[in-house]
Amino acid sequence: MSRKLAIIASNGGLFDAYKVFNVATAAAATDQEVAIFFTFEGLNLIHKEAYSQLPMPEGKEHYQKGFEKANVPAIPELVAMAQEMGVKLIGCQMTMDVMELEKDAFVDGIEVGGAVTFLEFAKDADVTLTF
Amino acid sequence: METIKFDQLVDAKGLACPMPIVRTKKAMNELEPGKVLEIQATDKGSTADIKAWAQSTGHQYLGTVEEGDVLKHYLRKATGEEKEEKKHPHVVNNEELQAKLTNKEDILVLDVRESAEYAFNHIPGTKSIPLGELENRLNELSKDADIYVVCRTGSRSDLAAQKLTEAGFKKVINVVPGMSEWTHPTDSLSK
Repeated sequence: MSRKLAIIASNGGLFDAYKVFNVATAAAATDQEVAIFFTFEGLNLIHKEAYSQLPMPEGKEHYQKGFEKANVPAIPELVAMAQEMGVKLIGCQMTMDVMELEKDAFVDGIEVGGAVTFLEFAKDADVTLTF
Repeated sequence: METIKFDQLVDAKGLACPMPIVRTKKAMNELEPGKVLEIQATDKGSTADIKAWAQSTGHQYLGTVEEGDVLKHYLRKATGEEKEEKKHPHVVNNEELQAKLTNKEDILVLDVRESAEYAFNHIPGTKSIPLGELENRLNELSKDADIYVVCRTGSRSDLAAQKLTEAGFKKVINVVPGMSEWTHPTDSLSK
């Protein structure tokens, strides 16, 4: 009864990161096979330096306290947890070329591929989400 | 408040979604089938999440107890017991048992599920001895009593009925399927 979830992450803000990783880890915890394709600004979410200081959307700074109060895990923690549970992280080769970034700028264990790599995974996914 | 027995504890207090589920999943991986997990959480959404999680992973959601700000959820790890072959020759169905209870016949209904399952839902007036404790607690039962053994699906009660018969109990009857399809009144730990 294994199911598949495919996510496209194309935005690079803090809220985007939570949407992506909360859904991904919850799905992985529910025995689903999960892959996330990070493209354009979405690459921030797995960039070694960027992902620990993702920007809060403008005008939403007051959320900061709420995050602390609710003890919401930090993004690097969620990424590590996602990886531990077998979530496949795919960086977009084309975006990386455009931005002149190498694979080692990103968290360990990611795959790098093009749209076809993702489509191959997503073609029989039960749910596909775009953030 | 009576305490509910569990085999392993997940402390997810103070953690936000999706952490309670992630912790639950990890603990469940290490638990033996049939054992009970208690998850303590303060995240209000965790009740709905745990229920949905149990449903989609095939584990058994027993119930939730609220203690102040803390929600205590109880899950039982799936065993695949539905597929097991039943061997005890004397069997009644739920309706036959209910008829005997309605007629106030002199019978003992023995519930062999885990005590946490019993706490959240059981037939009024029944005796609880989890299957794992049965051998050590045989002295609580009379060998001449009419004993109707009940569990969730009829599998654990089948094993219990065989054990009782081997131990010299004369009138032991397995109730099939048992609590999973019990539609008559029950006592339950209220939320």
